[in-house]
Amino acid sequence: MEAIKNAFDFSDFPRLDRVLAAGVFAALLAFPLFPYSAFAMATVIQFFMFSLYSMGWNTIGGYGGQVDLGQAQYAGIGAYTTTVCLLRWDIPFWVSMPIGVVIAVCWSFAIGYPLFKLKGHYFAIASIATSLVLKDVFEVWKFVGAARGLGILPSKYQPPDFLRLIFREDVYYYYVIFGFFALGLLAMNWFRKSRLGFQLRSIKDNEEVARSLGINVRWAKIKTYGLAVTFVSVVGSFHAVYVKNIEPEDTMSLDLSILIALMAMMGGAGSFWGPVIGAGVLIPLKSYLKEWLGAAAGMVGMDLIIYGVIIMLISAFEPRGIWGIVEKIRRRTRI
Amino acid sequence: MALLEVHNLVKAFGGLKANDDVSFQLEQGDLLSVIGPNGAGKTTLFNCIAGMFAPTSGRVVFGGEDITGIGAPAVARRGLARTFQVYVAGGDLNVLENVMVGCFMRTGSPARARRQAEGLLEEMGLKELGRAMVNELPVAAQKRVTMATALATEPRLLLLDEVAAGLNPSEIEGIMGSIRHVHGERGVTVMLIEHVMELVMNISRRVIVLDYGRKIAEGSPQDISRDPQVIKAYLGEKYVRDHVPASGGAPA
Repeated sequence: MEAIKNAFDFSDFPRLDRVLAAGVFAALLAFPLFPYSAFAMATVIQFFMFSLYSMGWNTIGGYGGQVDLGQAQYAGIGAYTTTVCLLRWDIPFWVSMPIGVVIAVCWSFAIGYPLFKLKGHYFAIASIATSLVLKDVFEVWKFVGAARGLGILPSKYQPPDFLRLIFREDVYYYYVIFGFFALGLLAMNWFRKSRLGFQLRSIKDNEEVARSLGINVRWAKIKTYGLAVTFVSVVGSFHAVYVKNIEPEDTMSLDLSILIALMAMMGGAGSFWGPVIGAGVLIPLKSYLKEWLGAAAGMVGMDLIIYGVIIMLISAFEPRGIWGIVEKIRRRTRI
Repeated sequence: MALLEVHNLVKAFGGLKANDDVSFQLEQGDLLSVIGPNGAGKTTLFNCIAGMFAPTSGRVVFGGEDITGIGAPAVARRGLARTFQVYVAGGDLNVLENVMVGCFMRTGSPARARRQAEGLLEEMGLKELGRAMVNELPVAAQKRVTMATALATEPRLLLLDEVAAGLNPSEIEGIMGSIRHVHGERGVTVMLIEHVMELVMNISRRVIVLDYGRKIAEGSPQDISRDPQVIKAYLGEKYVRDHVPASGGAPA
């Protein structure tokens, strides 16, 4: 099938990009074979998770130009579905994760239908509101543990449990999320060449023109939104079994929504590598800043300030992010 | 049966009637120009026909089907394409990709869309510009891109909104050739809005004239250029003196 062929076909990227990407990919694949610290391991897992979150955001927010700041609600839906399914009915991850996706996509249709009547800042604000409302609901909903959240006790299971994804060593989680990361890249490679991808880029360019070319603008946005939240919900499910402790304030926070969008924007919204680059730069920065500065008294939150400044600089000087800078240099030097 | 029928179309914005009781028919294979002063309601008429605006009253019938108020995407899918007067491209899509968006209306296959788009670029004399960004091109090339993009949807009727505006005489020659090609070889019925009289008088089979939202004249280019009402409202005495032969006399 053409779609599958397209997902695996990276031949239209410049040779340099392909070589670099293959090198990084191989290095990531081999990383756990070498001695590593628990901190480095956790950071790379975070990198994979946030790459995937941002890839999802990038479909609707980057290619489609609809700046959504409510993705955390879908991470929450994935995380809660997986945790509740496991704790209440002992449903394994590989079943609860698709259930989470179905719930997230249904919810995204219900949210997206009214939301995509709005444009620009109004859409962004409304998307924040929907996420915060859902968070508040979860904070008082006893069935899902209300504000205290839910915890998975690994001692109740026999790790390594590959069905429920309960492991003692992080290396198992590493390869699971690595697999999702690879699948995510393939899905994005399909998306950027697909009819839907072109429709979204046309919508970002000019909605009037898009409509005159037969594109049902609202429906195209809703479909893409469903694709975006699929990514986010899957990672949310993974987060549930990886962290084993979820609460609304953490899993569905506004911070998470903003980080997801900022990663893609910093790396380059609407470009294939943007989310990966954004996560690759911001996640290590965020982790190390937290480690170094967060420990010092009175420096809590300093990390947020520092990468806030970086984002401001990038959006002021190059709105297309790091990838935009790369492309500019490339056009000048013809590498 | 006419390809396009417009019946008693009214489009009001508050108290202002941008189109006031406009009716006309367009046969398959025709080439119709809409002229008139700025603010006469020409673009509003296009927007009502192409489904961008829902008319206040009146009907638009395309290919025997009432398409009034069904919305722009549905109109486009029935085979009615349009270009835009001011083409705003944010610079995210290159020329080839722009045309591919049009092709994607009829096919879901990226490979087929790409092939068709490449063919269209060649046809419209844009072959070398496929990788350029639309907003980096000269105006004449941009107009061709909008035409190619509209044609990519394989329309039966193409509405061209001021494709010759801002072009120099040789570029106007070029775009005239393109319109003739689309009309003659591709067999697409064409309706255009234009201020460049040279183009209108040269290629139109019929002309309708709008003034203050009303249709004040309809006929062949020759008839129109002699119509006193049209001269008063739009063409002006000077144009007629310079371009229109007096009845029975030789051209000035």
